[in-house]
Amino acid sequence: MEDAPSTASIPSASCRSLHCCHFLRRPSLCWHPSRAWLGGDALPSPGAVAAPCSLLGSAMLSEGGNESNYVLCVIDSLKKKVTADRYICIKKRIEENSIKLSPITQHSYDLSKVRQNCTTNSTELVLNLLTRRRDDALCAVNSLDVSPAESEGGSCQDECSSTVVLGGNLAAKNVVRPIKLPEVPKLPPYTTWTFLDRNQRMSEDQSVLGRRRIYYDTSCGEALICSDSEDEAVEDEEEKKEFKDSEDCIIRMTIQECGMSDAVLETLARDIERTPVDIKARYEILQGEKPECSFKKAYELDVKVEDVYCDKDLDAALDSFDNLFCRRCLVFDCKLHGCSQDLVFPTEKQPPWGMDDGTPCGIHCHKLVSKPDATMAIDSHLLVDVEEPTHSSDNARNQIGSNKKRLGSSGQKTKSQQSESSSTARVSSESSESEVHPISNKSPQQSPSLSKAKIGPKGGIKKSTNRRIAERILMSVKKGQREMASSDSNSIVNGCLWPRDMKLRSDTRNGIKDSVASSQYNTPSTRSSRKKVVLQIENNSSFADGQSDSMEETNNEHSATDGCDSSRKEECVDENICRQEDHGRSWKLIEQGLLLKGLEIFGKNSCLIARNLLGGMKTCTDVSQYMNYVENSSASGALSGVDSLVKGYIKGNELRTRSRFVRRRGRVRRLKYTWKSAGYHFIRKRITERKDQPCRQYTPCGCQSACGKQCSCLTNGTCCEKYCGCPKMCKNRFRGCHCAKSQCRSRQCPCFAADRECDPDVCRNCWVGCGDGTLGVPNQRGDNYECRNMKLLLKQQQRVLLGRSDVSGWGAFLKNSVCKHEYLGEYTGELISHKEADKRGKIYDRENSSFLFNLNNEYVLDAYRMGDKLKFANHSPDPNCYAKVIMVAGDHRVGIFAKERISAGEELFYDYRYEPDRAPAWARKPEASGTKDEGQPSTGRAKKLAH
Amino acid sequence: MMVNQVVVPEVGLGHEVAVGSPTTPSRSREYKATNKHAEGKSPVYAVVFNFLDVRYHDVFATACGPRVSTYRCLTNGKFALLQRYLADDETESFYTVSWACDTDGTPLLVAAGKSGVIRIINCATEKIHKTLVGHGKAINEIKAQALKPSLIISASKDESIRLWNVHTGIFILCFAGNEGHRNEVLSVDFHPSDIYRFASCGMDNTVRIWSMKEFWPYIEKSYSWTDNPSKFPTKYVQFPVMVAAVHSNYVDCTRWLGDFILSKSVENEILLWEPIIKEESPGESRVDVLQKYPVADCNIWFIKFSCDFHFNQLAIGNREGKVYVWEVQASPPVLITRLSNPQLKSPIRQTAVSFDGSTILAGSDDGNIWRWDEVDHPTVPSVGRKGKQTMTES
Repeated sequence: MEDAPSTASIPSASCRSLHCCHFLRRPSLCWHPSRAWLGGDALPSPGAVAAPCSLLGSAMLSEGGNESNYVLCVIDSLKKKVTADRYICIKKRIEENSIKLSPITQHSYDLSKVRQNCTTNSTELVLNLLTRRRDDALCAVNSLDVSPAESEGGSCQDECSSTVVLGGNLAAKNVVRPIKLPEVPKLPPYTTWTFLDRNQRMSEDQSVLGRRRIYYDTSCGEALICSDSEDEAVEDEEEKKEFKDSEDCIIRMTIQECGMSDAVLETLARDIERTPVDIKARYEILQGEKPECSFKKAYELDVKVEDVYCDKDLDAALDSFDNLFCRRCLVFDCKLHGCSQDLVFPTEKQPPWGMDDGTPCGIHCHKLVSKPDATMAIDSHLLVDVEEPTHSSDNARNQIGSNKKRLGSSGQKTKSQQSESSSTARVSSESSESEVHPISNKSPQQSPSLSKAKIGPKGGIKKSTNRRIAERILMSVKKGQREMASSDSNSIVNGCLWPRDMKLRSDTRNGIKDSVASSQYNTPSTRSSRKKVVLQIENNSSFADGQSDSMEETNNEHSATDGCDSSRKEECVDENICRQEDHGRSWKLIEQGLLLKGLEIFGKNSCLIARNLLGGMKTCTDVSQYMNYVENSSASGALSGVDSLVKGYIKGNELRTRSRFVRRRGRVRRLKYTWKSAGYHFIRKRITERKDQPCRQYTPCGCQSACGKQCSCLTNGTCCEKYCGCPKMCKNRFRGCHCAKSQCRSRQCPCFAADRECDPDVCRNCWVGCGDGTLGVPNQRGDNYECRNMKLLLKQQQRVLLGRSDVSGWGAFLKNSVCKHEYLGEYTGELISHKEADKRGKIYDRENSSFLFNLNNEYVLDAYRMGDKLKFANHSPDPNCYAKVIMVAGDHRVGIFAKERISAGEELFYDYRYEPDRAPAWARKPEASGTKDEGQPSTGRAKKLAH
Repeated sequence: MMVNQVVVPEVGLGHEVAVGSPTTPSRSREYKATNKHAEGKSPVYAVVFNFLDVRYHDVFATACGPRVSTYRCLTNGKFALLQRYLADDETESFYTVSWACDTDGTPLLVAAGKSGVIRIINCATEKIHKTLVGHGKAINEIKAQALKPSLIISASKDESIRLWNVHTGIFILCFAGNEGHRNEVLSVDFHPSDIYRFASCGMDNTVRIWSMKEFWPYIEKSYSWTDNPSKFPTKYVQFPVMVAAVHSNYVDCTRWLGDFILSKSVENEILLWEPIIKEESPGESRVDVLQKYPVADCNIWFIKFSCDFHFNQLAIGNREGKVYVWEVQASPPVLITRLSNPQLKSPIRQTAVSFDGSTILAGSDDGNIWRWDEVDHPTVPSVGRKGKQTMTES
């Protein structure tokens, strides 16, 4: 056994150059351990590993030795270390496994002992023949044991040449009579298949395995490879080699030992089969990792902690949703359309959910808060206005605006708030002019953060209007408050919870108002501080609201000491400043993301947003306050990224709603169905052209406007469907039918003529009643004829039975009789590409099975492993069924239909319609034989075709 | 998303495989040929000892053409024929035979082959117990679950693996479909301790590891099923927990060795590898090939190896009629001995190693059963073997 040190000694002993001395000192670090590594006997043949190095070493030596020689040795010893470690590791693992295994075998041994006991008990009465015969055999042996010589056997270990004298056996043949195992009818041969009620795209592993599939031909007794070698070459290239741990180790150690020079890198590169540049880069990475390692870990830990507290943003959280959810089937992990579909964003969005019946959504509903809240805001503004009306009018309008919007969206008033709302409404009407041009309203001195370009000439005029509005508000609000107070007293009498809440709130509010008023008068403050106060107040009310139940007592106290205790109020306000600061921050990233989505879906309806998207995270009040906060803080210009996004949504949503309204009005006119619409012509043309061509696979286009030349549907030659992003008036859209009495069963129906099923989302008059009518017939639309062209969609199929075919193998049989053109069922299978189908076809042709069906230009259906019972329907030149490819909700599917009247129990046949040159013999010469098995396997890949 | 990726072992530095030397037998145990028995004209595809019941540890069953027989290995090197069963169907050829037990412990023999019909024979009464029809093509291997020997699993040419309850004759689960085998399934084996798990391999060059954990209620249900067996709600299991491509050709035999797997391909080698399964994230599952046991002239398919009860020895025949006996748990693997005989030239399809490894049987293509016995072995088979392995049996 040659070990590494001896190899190393060759260059070290003979090299006398300075350079070599240099390395002589260092290697000892490396090689001493290496001696230890190789000390074990774990290596099966370490000599084999060491030999090339020593040869190389001596070759180098003859040239006087150089660094690469030395580097090689270093690398080599490192490699040996890695290998030796690996063998030690294997040994250890096998030993561990062996230790684990022994109790397992012991357990099964115990079980086998238990079985012995339990049968002796249970079969005491019944004779156990196996035991009896076994014991009999032993007796027989004992009696026959007189001639033990026959058991003499030659020692035939290994290459022993002596002829074996083999022992005879107990001639039991006459004793033991063979017991007949009765013949059981076999099933016709078939490959196990799983039932599919709809087509599935094939799993990914098949493409990998498809490369190396080998077919064992029993007739020739040879293995044939059915795969394309080109495929393998391509995929190998794509594979990016990553550095393994062991390689990293070698790179690092070698460079540490020998320094980083070109020669070292080159030798390493040759050894690890990479480029020197790669290795250098890798080393730098490794070096970088090392010192940072601990730091990085700590950092990662931090990140993790943050993760736990759910600081993901919505996009990250929705990632799997976007990847796995199928927008066409509305299920996760759709097997038909696959994962990671292209996201198509429809141009026409649904209007936000406008349902709002006016009742509060719960105890946290903003409707219970918003009115007083808004009043409060206005209130305080007005108080400010007393001093400086010009400035505050802007704020006031903001408040009013938001208030109005809120009212607009909720559009309801509770009784106790009527007075307020009427006042607000008045204000709104007054300020409607300013609402129309919200931006031009801003006067320059008020909003320095806003762009000055927008300052309108009307600014001066507005001032007076604003003042007027402010005065009105002041009056109305004061009136409102008075009314509120009276209602409060009523509610105290009533003593029920809800009004009491109101009362508490108004109490607090009064208190705050007073305090603010006092503070205003006491300290003439700058504009910014006033603004702050406004926020404080707003917030204060919410604070009080949130705690109104628990703080009932304190609040009562407050109201009692109302006005006198202004200093204490101010403390309270201070607290709220902190809260306000938290306000934005306490909204986590994910919550903000959800809010954005909510705004998109429901508009500014905080009830629905809170209930549907932020349940358990934020209350309705939180949501509405946050929306207001974001909206109002535009002037301060200190919004974070997400906040401004939210704001953008709030603003943009309004614009969009308006524009949608306009568009919708237009659409009604344009969508009026005409037979001469472009879409229909297009289809007609396609129908006539199509005949011999396969259908085209449909993929939704993502066009954001009416589809033009670059539309993927148009270039692909398919119609746009409801899944496309394009607007509904797109000229390439299939418009469906509006058949009245024909039940969409003839070519007069545009859907039927285009080999499509009617789609209730698209067709005007197609409807289907459910049930047998005992529960009442649904409202009749159009005429009272159900659409008969939705059977695949609704899975209205006939019962098909599987049985032994009269012709060959299995066959499909019909349970009940059907009329002509009746839909029988769907031919389902795996969706595979034509390329894959050709590969599989090679194998199937050998087995003489044919489950491939040409679906469209992109896909072939393969029912070999997965399908439904109709896949067993046999071929016949004179069939009673026919197959048809039909577009159902954007997908091509194969339906099998009755060609004539078929009576119950009849076997189903249809014409496979193989392309003439590819048809197997049994399909080519149908007169000669109707069976699948008689034909010779053909070389082509035959696929079934529809009519 | 339960899409498995085919797991391919890593190769290169740091992933070396410990290879046993096929040329230098340690001869830690010496064997001599003691018997040759002509079972029939057709190849003997299966020879198997009964390890399920301590009474029958010296009883083995064979499958040869349409014939299934049970023998007893006598201590003097002889065989005693106990029972013989003959299929009425002349075209039947049994490929596999396995011992099983009814719920009350009655010894059952399960045999199947070319016709795809599984026949369960009650050895205590010598009558047919059940006939299981369902496989669409030939059955290549049947195994009984050692912990619950009324469950059997069958590997078929129809690309499916099926789990049956021999007590009620119910077809419980079918392992096929989406990510099932893509060609004939040649071999299956239950995990020795994890009752839910088994491995299968076949002509698609892969070894698949399956779990029936989430389907266990159906298995429980199958015991109490009294209705027509065909009405049982048989479930399809379409996703294995791992698809491993450790070989690049047909894999025709697989056995668990604890948590490791021994698998043999037609590439003249048996590999011992560890499946590292991450069920939560299938993409991260790995396989680590640990050891290789070269077997010369073993490049035809349907050659199966066997181990003794304690997995100390592994015996495999080859195309030339030689039997290699490996010390399977040694690292690196050690070849114990190579058994041969001048009269034995035809391929050996299946071997059987007795409970303690003292007797090795081999079934050959010319219809013979060969027997080798350990030299100087105590004649009573149930006594612990010598060697470093300690055994705690009586």
